[in-house]
Amino acid sequence: MELRASKIPGVISLAQGVPSFDTPDPVKRAAIEAIEAGKVAKYSLVPGTLEFREAIAHHLERENKFFDFETEIIATAGSIEAITATLLTILSPGDEVLIPDPTYTSYQAAVKVARGTPVFLPLDEENRWALDVDKFEKLITPRTKAFLFCNPNNPTGTIFPRNQLHALAQLAIKHNIYILSDEVYKDFVFDSNEKPYSLAELRGIRDRLIYIFSFSKAYAMTGWRIAFLATHQALAARILAVHDALVTCAPVVSQFAARAALEMAGEEVENFRKYFEKRRDLICERLDKLEKVFQYQKPDSAYFVFPKIQEEYLQKVAAGGGSRQFALELLEQAKVATVPGSAFGPNGENHIRMCFGRSEEDIQEAFDRLEKFFSR
Amino acid sequence: MRNILKSIVQFYLRLFTRIALWRHRPFVIAVAGSTNKTPTKEYILKFLREKYGEHEVRGNPRSYNTEIGLPLAILYLESGESSPWKWLKILVSAKWKAFFERKFPKKLVLELGVDRKGDMKYLLGIVTPQIAVITNIEGNYSDADNNLEQIFEEFKVLVGSIPTDGTVVLNHDDERVALLQQEAKAKVITYGFSEKADAKITDLKTGIEGQNFEFSFRGQNEKVEIKKYGRHFVYAWAIAKIIKSIL
Repeated sequence: MELRASKIPGVISLAQGVPSFDTPDPVKRAAIEAIEAGKVAKYSLVPGTLEFREAIAHHLERENKFFDFETEIIATAGSIEAITATLLTILSPGDEVLIPDPTYTSYQAAVKVARGTPVFLPLDEENRWALDVDKFEKLITPRTKAFLFCNPNNPTGTIFPRNQLHALAQLAIKHNIYILSDEVYKDFVFDSNEKPYSLAELRGIRDRLIYIFSFSKAYAMTGWRIAFLATHQALAARILAVHDALVTCAPVVSQFAARAALEMAGEEVENFRKYFEKRRDLICERLDKLEKVFQYQKPDSAYFVFPKIQEEYLQKVAAGGGSRQFALELLEQAKVATVPGSAFGPNGENHIRMCFGRSEEDIQEAFDRLEKFFSR
Repeated sequence: MRNILKSIVQFYLRLFTRIALWRHRPFVIAVAGSTNKTPTKEYILKFLREKYGEHEVRGNPRSYNTEIGLPLAILYLESGESSPWKWLKILVSAKWKAFFERKFPKKLVLELGVDRKGDMKYLLGIVTPQIAVITNIEGNYSDADNNLEQIFEEFKVLVGSIPTDGTVVLNHDDERVALLQQEAKAKVITYGFSEKADAKITDLKTGIEGQNFEFSFRGQNEKVEIKKYGRHFVYAWAIAKIIKSIL
């Protein structure tokens, strides 16, 4: 959709999950200094520079997550490389991986690349897209190898609560399942001072938990392709061999930049969060004015809203074509790019995803166009 | 412009820091190494505060350890980051602290970060440690050319600077670090898993809750349990225990 949008002049994109901000200055400066000091032209150690991994471990420790930087942390080329390398490590062909439905669209692809089978765990829209632990257990088969999820969830902004995560952890131990916890949006939580609870804080599950964090969103670094995973040393050693085969090492300049992000850009992350909260409120206000067209759950976190398209308008705009056709019509006719809900799993059908990581001006303009379009 | 401002800040911070150190003359413990400086500093702070009290011992906040970071650490000031206005306020605070601050800790535990030739000499132009700890010398890159010999030379400067009544604490498991013994005028204490280390770590086991090991130094044996993962924490604990024992 984004590619198609880029070919149409004047399109406002609420499609791609890219923050509107530039990378913070201290991060850019650290990268420039590293380049000028001649530190980035060579491969780093396969799991990343010692200094970067040590900074990651210190940062995690402040969040009550304890990992050995020497043997349990691997810097990766974005979180999708962390996920793919992990799945390639743990899956045999045909193994099943449970993923929430709806969730980040690339999870399905990553599971398939690793020759696994994605199995959808429907989230409950009526209950703010909550996860049902009983449904989770019922979907477990002898082929189930892992549960891959994003907390907070993309595209729904759901934060999975501590008690539910503990129940998942118990089931993972009982059924010998790995859990991949992708926490890329953990810094963008609204209406609360509490950080989302992470299973990485639970020591009892550290031999089967793979914690993944990307710098892309929190530090506005999508183009730097830098993330890391943290897991028990025995599993980390196996993933490291796959990571080595895939990319040799994460981009070294990005490792220097990301280290500076951890050490110097905390204030900027909080500023981004405040902007996103304001934009969340703005997009919700504008959606309220389109209640005839959309019904939505106000997101608690991340920077997406995932409204359901009212049946009348779905048929009026895209008769029989579902969310994909609906999104295409918005793109072609209103010149507003969104992502069809079907991309996030079967449960996402009849929805579209709108990103409020974009500027307030973009959001206002996009909704002016949508209001005009739907008032025809 | 940025470089000029940096030079001015660096000059005045160094000057004010030297004045503060001259006035208060604290006992300085320096921690250097490629990695593991911060956990080591934290354990030393913890153990020495247990022994001497919370306000008698101070360390680098946020691991500031470079030519600008070290003065900030000693004067206990935050970085101005990219704001000239903040740096101006920092220089005013630094001047006040240098000339008028009365309360100053009796012991400082400071990380020394070196990257290039001459860095250690510069840092030792600010502080004069009585104890030096070297954690390790390791590289960031996959090839053999890791600039480690240059870092080794920098650590030689630190080890050689410790006076005869001081102490040098070295990691015996790291071959380069162990070689630094030859540079010392001061008493040397080595630690590690090596049989030859003065302070020995043995029987390390890792479990769900953390790590446990045995530590023996000067005829005393101790079973230790720490709730953290990774050998570097074991080393950090051992170093802190040695320093607590000798002070």
